[in-house]
Amino acid sequence: MPPDPDEPDEAVPATELSLGGPERAVLGALRSAGPLPVEEEALPTRTDLSIEAVRGALQRLRSKGLANVEEEHREVLTLTPRGVRAQAIGLPERRMLQILGGHTAPMGPTDLEAAGLPAEERSAAIGILRRRGFLADGIPFRLRDGHPDVALPFPEETALRSIHDDQVAPDDSAVKDLRRRGLVEVGHLTTKRWTPSDEGRAAVLLDDSKLLGTLSTVSLRDGSWKGQEFRPYDVRAAVPYVTGARPHRYAAWLREFEEILLGLGFEQGEGPLLETEFWDCDVLFMPQHHPARSIHDVFGVVGVEGKLPPAALLERVAAVHEGRALPGEAAPITPGWKAPYDPEVARHLVLRSQTTSVSARYLANHPTPPFRMFCLDRNFRVESVDATHHIDFTQCEGILGGEGTNLRDLVGIFRALADAIGIRDLRIRPSYFPFTEPSVEGYVKHPRLGWIEVFPGGMFRPEVLRPLGIDVPVAAWGIGVMRLAMVSLGVSDIRELFEDDLERLTGGPR
Amino acid sequence: MPRATIPRARLAKALGRDLPDAELRDLLWSTKAEFDGPEGGSLVLEATADRLDLLTESGLALALAPKVGGAHGLVPIRSAPWSGPAPQLLVDPSVAGVRPAIAGAIVAAPESRPLDAGLLDEAIRFQELLHATYGAQRKRASIGIYPTDRFQFPVRYTTRPVDDVRFVPLDGTVEVGGRAFLAAHPLAARYGSLGVAGERMLVLLDRDDQILSVPPILNSRGAGEARPGDRSLLLESTGATVARVREMIGLLSLVFVANGWSVAPVETVGGPADREGGAVVATRRLELPLATLDALAGRTFTTPEAEHLLAQSRLGAHPIPGGFTVEVPPWRPDLLTAVDLAEDVVLARGLRAEDGVVPPSPTRGRRRTESVFRREVADLLLGLGYAELYTPVLVGAEVDALLAPSGAIRVANPVSDLYSHVRNRLLPSLLTSLAHNVRHAYPQRMYEVGPVIVADPGSETGGRTLVRAGILLAGERFGFADGAALLDYLTGAMGAVGVREPLEIPGTIRGRAARLRLAGESIGEVGELHPSVLTELRVPVPAVWAELDLSALWPLVRRAEAA
Repeated sequence: MPPDPDEPDEAVPATELSLGGPERAVLGALRSAGPLPVEEEALPTRTDLSIEAVRGALQRLRSKGLANVEEEHREVLTLTPRGVRAQAIGLPERRMLQILGGHTAPMGPTDLEAAGLPAEERSAAIGILRRRGFLADGIPFRLRDGHPDVALPFPEETALRSIHDDQVAPDDSAVKDLRRRGLVEVGHLTTKRWTPSDEGRAAVLLDDSKLLGTLSTVSLRDGSWKGQEFRPYDVRAAVPYVTGARPHRYAAWLREFEEILLGLGFEQGEGPLLETEFWDCDVLFMPQHHPARSIHDVFGVVGVEGKLPPAALLERVAAVHEGRALPGEAAPITPGWKAPYDPEVARHLVLRSQTTSVSARYLANHPTPPFRMFCLDRNFRVESVDATHHIDFTQCEGILGGEGTNLRDLVGIFRALADAIGIRDLRIRPSYFPFTEPSVEGYVKHPRLGWIEVFPGGMFRPEVLRPLGIDVPVAAWGIGVMRLAMVSLGVSDIRELFEDDLERLTGGPR
Repeated sequence: MPRATIPRARLAKALGRDLPDAELRDLLWSTKAEFDGPEGGSLVLEATADRLDLLTESGLALALAPKVGGAHGLVPIRSAPWSGPAPQLLVDPSVAGVRPAIAGAIVAAPESRPLDAGLLDEAIRFQELLHATYGAQRKRASIGIYPTDRFQFPVRYTTRPVDDVRFVPLDGTVEVGGRAFLAAHPLAARYGSLGVAGERMLVLLDRDDQILSVPPILNSRGAGEARPGDRSLLLESTGATVARVREMIGLLSLVFVANGWSVAPVETVGGPADREGGAVVATRRLELPLATLDALAGRTFTTPEAEHLLAQSRLGAHPIPGGFTVEVPPWRPDLLTAVDLAEDVVLARGLRAEDGVVPPSPTRGRRRTESVFRREVADLLLGLGYAELYTPVLVGAEVDALLAPSGAIRVANPVSDLYSHVRNRLLPSLLTSLAHNVRHAYPQRMYEVGPVIVADPGSETGGRTLVRAGILLAGERFGFADGAALLDYLTGAMGAVGVREPLEIPGTIRGRAARLRLAGESIGEVGELHPSVLTELRVPVPAVWAELDLSALWPLVRRAEAA
């Protein structure tokens, strides 16, 4: 915390002190206070100073050995949004118990889902109930004969309630479990309590009114400084530290990453964040019924409507979806998705779920090879925000295309990118994207997280390229650069990439 | 990715040996499946959405066998003899508006090995997985399994008045009426709407009017309950399109064919799949030109090498001049064209990072000039001591309410109130950060150069994505003039001079907010924040906000430069 830009104070014998105004006031307050120590937050009212001025004065008094501080650090447990939900409607394992208890017949996964236990909560609930002897083996699920008493609360429930009620959670292992499951998080509180030191108590505060303090423009102009004694400063005393603006760590990292792509000969591209499903999915040969297009994965918007692309392009894309020949051609290039193509779906608006739409728009507008384009930008997907997921995520989209472009070129680009950010260990494995074939995923090794996937890509399918009028192979990728940034910046929680704490953004050395 | 838990012992039995966890993980690295870990006596697996077959022990064993010295090549689909009335599915026109498509096939056990509990369990698990994924929660297709010795062909796919339907549900013991079933059964609550039209509901009846199932909800207990010991089963699928229901059956047939069961066709009579029944569980043929394979992979494959790799992929390879005719089993609907086959070959050979070659660049890297312009503005703000922010584009309902009416586009399906609106100014993001920093010293200076989305009914995407520079200054003595001066400074540095005009901006003090105009365009806004906003956010000092629309300013600056 920066102290007031007050002048430093002069050096005096230990028992005779000349102090600046705020220090004099704060030391006075400490000396005249009743019970000691005094909490830092109580001093502004006793000194009529701002908390910032009080803090600056206390630091200076401490550096002069006139005041002592005791710090109490406390961990404070709070419920995450998911924790709040669990507290309100019950932990998944409790809800599963209640559902099974309310049905005589065993229940399959879909029954559980129908009864309100979605798949993402089911696995955890099943694991816990199996470990604790409530569930019989096998599917469909049923309670085990002789299972423990369902009326007894789980330790996690007790802990969750205690944390919700701001009480001490009784079971440490239960708290650990809740933290691991992302239901509880830990914050830190520091309380500072101050007392005057023996020297601070005994010191005699000198009357220094005859010494010249701050040199002012007035005294310079009228020469009143002449013949005066200057109050000497303690040049060893702590001074205010300078805080300055800095580029945001993640934003700066993104700009560095852009430089790598520029160095590899890529041109920068850009596209809209609010996008029609035509460009977000259809043109990429993603079937209109693809589960990744559902409201569980992609954000829709309210109150605005999209428009269809030019009719000729719409017809070409509809043809590959329906497995028809492209206009002017005799035979279909693909069996397609064997379902009618719906233009109403095509004009539906979503928050862009992948920067691949930027590549598609680029190819539509620049149909002449060679292609080397990248777009490092935001996308949005429906996620529970936690240490590894965020609704607002950055992808580095890229395309590389021309005569002879192939999968080895794509892997070569992955290698070049990994090398450029200092990652040696790269592995490639198969993957799946509706718009590329072959599809691959590059993994890099994180010192703590192990192998993590960061380089998804592949060769654009003919069903993507041909409707856009492209007749050469095009490699494409959409790199999860947030993970790469986490590796590179040594960050283990994705939320830290959105850091907005000004002390950390502007503070001391990194 | 889709996920499944399969019994370890059944995989071991199918492969002839148990695979230790580490070996399984290694082997799966080169496939589209992934081993998440053991869970009791089971294995938890994930697979990419195109390879659901790998989430069964039979499908996984087929894929792994060539890697552990076992069988390779296409699994033969043997024909089952069939005696008795011709197996037919008769489609009544009344289903057309509800769920028009149906297809079926019969699978018959080897003489010595009737259905056992393990195989039945595998089939049911796969059935549920297909319902949830390929069937889109049964909306696009659902699938049923019936023992052929407990009903009589022909089977009729039709509708009946809800009150005329009576059957014992698969998980019940008492006969119920259609209306009571639809009202009370949890599966009916979830899927009932897919099989009901007005006062009629879908039914599958046998020759004697016995109900096999009420698609796509549930089978009946008698004719619709497969049990260990059964020797012959009808696989039936209903759904929206013929292609999808046939693929569903093709996928489910995997667990039977891989275990030595044979297949007999079931003819569909009427409906969109009229008389197409014979080919439901059968291989199909695709061509793979070697030139396509070589071009995609970036290397040359010999015919014997490609043939071997196709066999490793459990496909049937028949060399022809210049490539192959490839026989594809019905549980691989992911294979559409030659590029899909090429991928299988490439994966069977193995993907290696060392194979990557950085291609020489025929182009020069180029940053967008507009992007350079944005960076210049950001650098000016850094120089003035403003901290750079990088915040989410989605902002919270609470902060949006403080700025009402904000005009921000609302998210239709927000995950939480913290991310419920799409910012149309950077102001809500800056305010959120200001609120996060109330414990810190003032003055506080922050900025973000980032995107916003402004609703625009005339645009193709219903809105325009604009990049703005948002600035916030909070501290004693700061007010409107400080913000306005900042805008003047920034525009001046870019060689432009804007004119301020009064504007009411929600969240600012009336009379202390303005719009900045240049050449008739609005290029910025500035305002002193209203105390009600500050107190709501517990900000103890005055604050002023300014925002420059870089997307609007850039063309004006460029035009001026060109002139």
